[in-house]
Amino acid sequence: MNLAAMQGLLPLLVLGLGAAVLMLQISIRRQLGWSYAITVATLLLGAAAMEPAMQVAPLQVTPLLRVDNLGLFFGSLFCLSGAVTAVISRDYLRSREGENEEYFLLLLLSTLGAVILAYSTHVAALLLGLELLSVALYALIAYPERGTLPLEAAIKYLVLSGAASATLLFGFALIYAALGSLEYAEIAVQISAGRAATSPALILMGAAMVFAGLGFKLSVVPFHMWTPDVYEGAPAPISGFLAGVSKGAVFIAVLRWFLESGFFQYSSLLAGITLLSIASILVGNLLALLQTNVKRILAYSSIAHLGYLLIVLVAAGVSPEPGLAVEAGGYYVVAYVITTLAAFSLLGLISRQSGDREYDQLSDLAGLFWKQPGLAALFTVALLSLAGIPLTAGFIGKFYLISAGVDAALWGLLAALVIGSAIGIFYYLRIIYTMTTVGEQANPGTTADMLVGSRLVVYLLIFAMLYLGIVPEPLMGYLRTIL
Amino acid sequence: MLDFLWLIPLLPLASAALLMVTAGSLPRPLIAACGAGSVGLAALCVLLTGLSWAHDPVPRQMELWTWMQVGTLRPTIGFYLDGLTLVMMSVITGVGFLIHLYSTEFMEEDESLSRYFAYMNLFVAAMLILVMADNLLFLYLGWEGVGLCSYLLVGFWYRDPVNGAAARKAFVVTRIGDTAMALGLLLLFTELGTLDIQQLAELAQGKWQPGDTTIVLATALLLGGAVGKSAQLPLHTWLPDAMAGPTPVSALIHAATMVTAGVYLIARNHELFLLAPPTLLAVAVLGLLTLLLAAFTALNQHDIKRILAYSTISQIGYMFLGLGVGAWSAGIFHLVTHAFFKALLFLAAGAVIHCLHHEHNIFRMGGLRTRLPVAFWSFLIGSAALAALPFTSGFYSKDQILLAAYQWPQIGPWLWAGGLLGALLTAIYSFRLVFIVFFGEAQTEPDRQPGWRMALPLSILCVASIVGGWISLPLAEALPATQSGHPAAAVEWISIAIPVIGVSLAYLIFLGRQLDLSALVNSGLGQRLHQFWYSGWRMDALYNWLWVRPYQFTARLLKDEPVDLAYNGVVHTSVALHHLLSNLQTGRMRWYASTMVGGLIVLLAVLARAG
Repeated sequence: MNLAAMQGLLPLLVLGLGAAVLMLQISIRRQLGWSYAITVATLLLGAAAMEPAMQVAPLQVTPLLRVDNLGLFFGSLFCLSGAVTAVISRDYLRSREGENEEYFLLLLLSTLGAVILAYSTHVAALLLGLELLSVALYALIAYPERGTLPLEAAIKYLVLSGAASATLLFGFALIYAALGSLEYAEIAVQISAGRAATSPALILMGAAMVFAGLGFKLSVVPFHMWTPDVYEGAPAPISGFLAGVSKGAVFIAVLRWFLESGFFQYSSLLAGITLLSIASILVGNLLALLQTNVKRILAYSSIAHLGYLLIVLVAAGVSPEPGLAVEAGGYYVVAYVITTLAAFSLLGLISRQSGDREYDQLSDLAGLFWKQPGLAALFTVALLSLAGIPLTAGFIGKFYLISAGVDAALWGLLAALVIGSAIGIFYYLRIIYTMTTVGEQANPGTTADMLVGSRLVVYLLIFAMLYLGIVPEPLMGYLRTIL
Repeated sequence: MLDFLWLIPLLPLASAALLMVTAGSLPRPLIAACGAGSVGLAALCVLLTGLSWAHDPVPRQMELWTWMQVGTLRPTIGFYLDGLTLVMMSVITGVGFLIHLYSTEFMEEDESLSRYFAYMNLFVAAMLILVMADNLLFLYLGWEGVGLCSYLLVGFWYRDPVNGAAARKAFVVTRIGDTAMALGLLLLFTELGTLDIQQLAELAQGKWQPGDTTIVLATALLLGGAVGKSAQLPLHTWLPDAMAGPTPVSALIHAATMVTAGVYLIARNHELFLLAPPTLLAVAVLGLLTLLLAAFTALNQHDIKRILAYSTISQIGYMFLGLGVGAWSAGIFHLVTHAFFKALLFLAAGAVIHCLHHEHNIFRMGGLRTRLPVAFWSFLIGSAALAALPFTSGFYSKDQILLAAYQWPQIGPWLWAGGLLGALLTAIYSFRLVFIVFFGEAQTEPDRQPGWRMALPLSILCVASIVGGWISLPLAEALPATQSGHPAAAVEWISIAIPVIGVSLAYLIFLGRQLDLSALVNSGLGQRLHQFWYSGWRMDALYNWLWVRPYQFTARLLKDEPVDLAYNGVVHTSVALHHLLSNLQTGRMRWYASTMVGGLIVLLAVLARAG
C-alpha cells in the first residue's frame, strides 16, 4: 500500500474511520445528537473524498478494488444518499423511545458496503460489499420493534437473502471451476482466449446462478416476492435506503461484473436477462395497479424500475457501441436513486407513526393536498418523476433508456417498457388524485413539525430532480466523460 | 446589452409568474405597476440592445443552453438577433407597453386585474420567444404559448358562455394550423436533421432545387401554421369572434402582434420559401383573396370591433401578398405600420366603448367628434393610415407592396388590380366608420372622458401612425431586396389616387348623402348581398356544415364508445392479471423461497436451450 493507493481509497478510509469513531463515542457516552452528527459528517466527508481520490484514478488497489471515475462518482452518490437517509431517520427516530445510537452505526456500515460494491473488480470484493450492506440492513429493518411487522420483514429478508447469497456463491464457484479466476479482468481474458469453450455448461450455469442471487438483491421477478413485505415492515427511511442505495449499488456492481468480465458476449445470457427484464416490468407494474398500501406501491414500482434498468445490460451486450447504453444506465441510476429517496423520505414524513400504526394506506393520504399543500406538492413531484413525466429527472432517464434501446433495436423490451410505463402512470396518478380528494381520514397532522434538516434535504432532493429534468446536459456530459 | 438578451423575454415572464403566484393578493396599484412596468423595462432593454447592435450590425446567435443531447436530437434554448428580430422585438415591446399602460386605466375596475396582467405579460414573453428563437423548436414553444394566452384572454370574462365559445373557437381553429406546422417541422427535421433556422436555410439550398416536391410540401405545411395564426383564408374565421376579450387584448393580440406571427414565420424562413415557388404563389393568392373577402365583410358590419377585426384580416392579407411577390421588407414594413395604426384604432375604439357604457353598435353612436375629441382625432389619424391616404405611414408600406405586386411576372398586374380594389374598399369602410361614429346626430352620451393613461398611449400612437412611414427599418441584411425598377408613372398615380377616391365616396355616401344608395341596398339582391357579406361570406355556416356537423355526428355515433371496447379489454385484462399476481403474494416465506428456486430453474432452462 503506497501513498497513491491510500489517496485512492480515501473515501473508504474515511467511512471506516468514521465508523470506528462512532463506536468509540457510543461506548464512552451514549448521546444521539453526537452519533447523528458524526454519521452525517463522515458521510459528507466520504463524498468529498472523491475529489483527492480522483487525482490518482484510475488505479488498481490490490486485485480486489479499482479506483476509477465510475466507482468514485457512484461511491459519493451513495455516501450522499446515506447522509440523506441519516437526516430523515433523525426525524423518524424522534418518536422512538430507547437507545438509538446504533441505528446510525449500522447505516454507516451499510453505506460502506455500498461504496465497496461500486469499486469492486473482484468476486471477493463484490461479496464483501454485498454482505456488509445486507447484514447491517437486517438489523436496520427490524430496528423499530413496533408490532410484529418489522421483525417479520427482517426475518424474511435474512433467510431469503441468505439463500440468495448462497446461490450467488455457488455460481461464482462454478465459474471459478471452469476458468480458474475470480478477477473480472482475468475472467475476460480467459473467455476471449477460448478457454470457456471447453466447459460452456459450467460457465452458463454459474452465470445463471449469479444472476439469480443478484436478481434477489435487485428484486427482479421472479426473485421479487420479499420486496413489498420488507418495505412495508421496515422504517420508511430504511425502505428508501433499500430501494435506492442498496439496489443502485448492486446494479453498479452487476454492470461492472457483466461488462468487465466479458459475460455480455453470451447471447443466451442476454436472452435470460431479457426475460427477467420483461417479467419485472410487467409483473411489477401489474402488482402495483390496485394496491392500497403506498409503501407496497412504491415497492412494486421499484421492481418495475429495476426491470427498466436491466434493458441497459442487454443493450450494452447487443450494441457494438455500448457507450450509450452504459451512459443511459448511469443516468437512470442517478435519477432513480434521487427520486426513490425523495419518495420514501416524503412518505416517511407523511405517514409518520402516531399511536400504534403508520399512516401508509392510500386512504390515509386523502385530502392531504388541502391540509399540507407543500408536502403534497413535493410528493407529487416525486411521483411524477417516478412516472417519467417531462421536466423531471425520471423523464430524461427513461428517454435516455429508450434511445439506448432503439439504438440496440430491442423492440420487445421497448414494448414492455412502454406498456409498463402506461400502467405505471395509472397508479402514480391514483396517489396524486387521492391526495386532492376531500377526505377526513388523513393523518391528523403530525407532519407540520418537520425538523429543519429533513426539510432542507427534501427540498434539495426535489430541486435536484427538477434540475436534472430541466438541465440534464451537465450530468450527461459528465457521465460521458467518466464512462 | 447584447449579452443580456435573455433579460428581454424574462422580464415579462417573471412578472407573469409573480402575478400568478400571488393570485391577486398584491395591492392593485402594484399589480398594474408590475404588469405595465415589466413590459416597459423590456422595451427599454430592446432600445439599449438596438443601440449597441447598431454599432456593429451583424447577425448574432446566442445559445443559452442545450436542453439535452441524445443522438442527433439536440434541442437548444438560443436566440438569434438580426434586423428582423430587432424590428419585431421593438414592435412587440413598444406597442405592447403602450397597450399595457392603457390597460391600467381601461381595466381599473375589473376584479381580476392580476389575472389580466399575468396573461398579458405571459403573452408578451411568449411572443418575444417566438421572434427571438434561433431554432424552430424553440420558436414553436413561443408559438404555442401565444396560442394559449390568446385562448385565456379571449375567454377572459369567462362567466359569459359566449366568450368561452369564442375562446374555444380561436383555439381549435388555430390548432389546425399548428398541427400543420408541427408536421412541417417534423418533415424538415427528418430531411435535414436540424431545426436551427440558419442551418436549415443553408442545408436546404444545398439539398434541393427550387420547386422540389419535399420542400414545397414542407413550406406548404409551414404556411398552414402561418395561415392559422395570421387568420388568413381558410382559417380566418376565429379572429372576428376573438373580439370577445377586453379591447386592449384585441389591440395587442388580434391586431398588433400575434396575428403577425405567421408573417414573421414566412419572412424568417424566406430562404426555404424561395426554394418553393408554388408555395410563394399560394401565399400571394391567399393574401389577395383574404384581403378582398375581409374588406367586403368589413363594409357590412355594425359592431365597431368587428369592423376593425375584418380590417385586420384584410391588412394581413396585404402583408401576405407582399411576401408572396417577393417584397419581403415591404411586407414587414406594413406589419410595423399596421401595428401602429391598428393598435391606435383598437385603443381608440376601446376608449369609445369605455366611455359609452360598453356600446359596440356604430349605429347607436354618432356625433362623438366634439364629445370625445381624443378618440376622434385618434380615429381620424388611424383611419387615414389604414386607408393609406398619402403621407400617412400606411401609405408608404401599402404602396411598396402594390408596386412590387405590379412588377411580379405573369399574374402581377392582376394581383395589383385586386390589391387596388381592396384599397378602395378599405378607404370606404374605414371612413364609413369615422363618419357614422363621430359625425351626425348624437345617439348616446358618453359618461366620462379618457384619463391620461389612455390619452397618452393614443397620442404616441397617433404620432407613430403618421411618421412611422419615414423610418427606415434595418432589414437590408436580414431579408432579400425587392426587385427594383420603376413601373409607369400612371401605375403610381393610380395607387395614390385610389384611397382618396375611396374616402370621397365614403363622404358622399355616409356623410354628405349626395350619393343615395338606399334603393340599391334595399332591393332584394342588395339585401341578400348585405346579409351574405354581413355573415362573412357564410364561412361559419359553411364550416359548420362541412366540419362541425359531421364531427358531431361521428361523435354521437361513437357515444356508446364502441372503440373503447378494446381499451376496456386491456383494463379488464390488467385488473385480472393484477388479482392473479396479488394472490401469489401470500406472505409465506416457504412459497417465496420456492418461487426463487423455480425462477432459477427456468433461467437455467432458458440458458441451456439458447446456449
